[in-house]
Amino acid sequence: MTDSKNTNNIFTRFDITAEEEEHAARIISSDSILQKVGECIIEGNEELIEQVVREALKTKSPLEVTNAGLIAGMKEVSRLWAEGSYFLPQVILSSDAMVAGIAVCEQKFGKPMEKKAKVITHTAEGDIHDIGQVIVNALLNANGFEVINLGCDVPVDEVVNACISHKPVLVTGTALMTTTMSAFPRIAEKLIKSDLEIPFVCGGGAVTEEYVNSFDLGIWGKEASQAPGMADDALKGLSWIELRKKWNG
Amino acid sequence: MKLIDSMAYSSSEEMMFGFAKYPVTTRSGLVIGGGAVIPEVVTHPRPGKEHDLKTLARELERANTDAMQRCVSIGHPSIVIENEHVFQMTNNPEWGAEISAQSAHKISDFKQKYGLNAAYRSTIADIRKPDMINLRDSERTEKVLESFKNCAKTADILSIESLGGKEVFDYSIIRNDITGLLFSQAVLGGRDMQWLWPQIVEIANENGCVPGGDTDCAQANTAMFMAGGFDAKDIPHTLAALSRAIGASRTLVAYECGALGPGKDCAYENPIIKAIAGIPISTEGKSSACAHSDLCGNVIAAVCDLWSNEAVQYQNMFGGSSAAVFTEILGYDTAAMNSSIMLGFEKQYQACLVNSDRYRDPQAFILCPDNAWAIGKAITDNADSLYARGRAAAIKCGELILADPELRLTTIEKKSLLAYMAEMETLPEDEDNFIDFCLNKYRKVKGFNPAAYGL
Repeated sequence: MTDSKNTNNIFTRFDITAEEEEHAARIISSDSILQKVGECIIEGNEELIEQVVREALKTKSPLEVTNAGLIAGMKEVSRLWAEGSYFLPQVILSSDAMVAGIAVCEQKFGKPMEKKAKVITHTAEGDIHDIGQVIVNALLNANGFEVINLGCDVPVDEVVNACISHKPVLVTGTALMTTTMSAFPRIAEKLIKSDLEIPFVCGGGAVTEEYVNSFDLGIWGKEASQAPGMADDALKGLSWIELRKKWNG
Repeated sequence: MKLIDSMAYSSSEEMMFGFAKYPVTTRSGLVIGGGAVIPEVVTHPRPGKEHDLKTLARELERANTDAMQRCVSIGHPSIVIENEHVFQMTNNPEWGAEISAQSAHKISDFKQKYGLNAAYRSTIADIRKPDMINLRDSERTEKVLESFKNCAKTADILSIESLGGKEVFDYSIIRNDITGLLFSQAVLGGRDMQWLWPQIVEIANENGCVPGGDTDCAQANTAMFMAGGFDAKDIPHTLAALSRAIGASRTLVAYECGALGPGKDCAYENPIIKAIAGIPISTEGKSSACAHSDLCGNVIAAVCDLWSNEAVQYQNMFGGSSAAVFTEILGYDTAAMNSSIMLGFEKQYQACLVNSDRYRDPQAFILCPDNAWAIGKAITDNADSLYARGRAAAIKCGELILADPELRLTTIEKKSLLAYMAEMETLPEDEDNFIDFCLNKYRKVKGFNPAAYGL
């Protein structure tokens, strides 16, 4: 079989040539119990998080545990992912731990913690490939948004009606197949007719920038990881035209 | 159901593209795996063409006719045309039936007019999403079976990309959970296929149609797509490689139920399947870059019998329609492979295909014929249960990757693989115990219904 030194004209292992040293997580708090909460998030330790958060709540307020422990931990996870030390599953596990930790804080708080804003997500009518949407949901949740998850194979009118009743800052659509993404412009058209100029991020599989930019409201989502940033921009008040200009093209 | 406990080939040295231990002859007279590689072109409609039957049928008629016409234009002697049903073709079973009938009719026309040897594969869409319906008892299940019955009347080959286990798989793959992969792919996927495939085989046999095969596309290919290229960071490539090995255990069930091949093109696990079952297989690699990227573009052709493009959307290109263009590409690829057979250089040609990708990536490495055979052997040596053989396949896959120093891994890839291997060592030996463990662990996965798998 091939000798490695003779493969130079066959392939280059850019994953190895560009490999960077794995970095450890940074300290997120000087307070030992908040640091423990953050570590549970960074390690995605869903089993331990509830116990640690309860311990923290003995001396800290739910808001402090959430902001200085849970959210601070999640920010560190995002940093580790961005620099390449983490794979996506580690982010998802951290997100699971985050949801569990928030639930304990909410229990103590006596009401749901305030979310940044609502985002509606769905997978197109006729399409049952929703793993992309599941990832988007987890990332949005972990970043403090309330996700209205409509699931997959969602009829056009159901998406529009949900937008009418929830008034989200952003709506997302996922499709693997070219033959199902044709639901997106129909949704956009009905939203406009309902006077809802909500930025509509469409992505997944065969969905192209050219296609999504061909109808009003449409913004092409290249990667699931862009979803929190886009939602933050929508929350800041950027219109669909401004979002498209920033994220597409 | 008895699981296969022996290998069709006594070594990987016996495995060659174009030759299957058990060739298949379609009712249109095309022999697959009988000494030549045949192109298999898969055409796909443009967005919006699925709105009504007339428009969709016309779209696919044009695409499929373009493919056969290009064969005639440049002299490719044979072709398999495949249509993977879009949702609407199975959800309205009469649509798939009409498109299958028109395709068979066109094939007959080309045979009569030019002597072109062609066959039509109808791949029914599995619209049974496990977290939405009961896999075994739902309106959608009935439509899937009705579609098989309708298409079997005119198609040469029937296939499906079944979805059993997908709900637990999707939950697990994004959580780096090798136990969940074993449960979803090997156990749940395998059990669903053991329920589904005897029915497909019966329908095919009653209609003189070939029960082709299945694929772990919904799971192992999801892992492959998520693993992506060298610049991706979604999941480790080693996890995708293990998922592929487990997927072989799952896909094999179709052939244990009586499917004859050709295996489905997107089943990258097919070299392992061929080593075990000896059936002809379809594969795709560089030729399917129109649909997705992979890291095994050449090696995956090493033991193929059909050479496919996965799916190309019908559109115009400088060189004609995409259907015609990809037929030409596939046809010349197969002509080169068949020339090597004619000249007696097939071993050398195969070595070029294999060495192109052997150390490119773990996913390519495990599909080299020698490694595919070794994984197949682990599967047949552990035929006690679906779980036992899936786990054995994954462990063998990991051992092969770790044992060859020429296959380089990044630190994080190696660390991940060692963790999966350690986790698999801790799992129960016995399938019943493993299932009990998993039923508890995954009970909260959205839409997971153990009863749909007979559990």
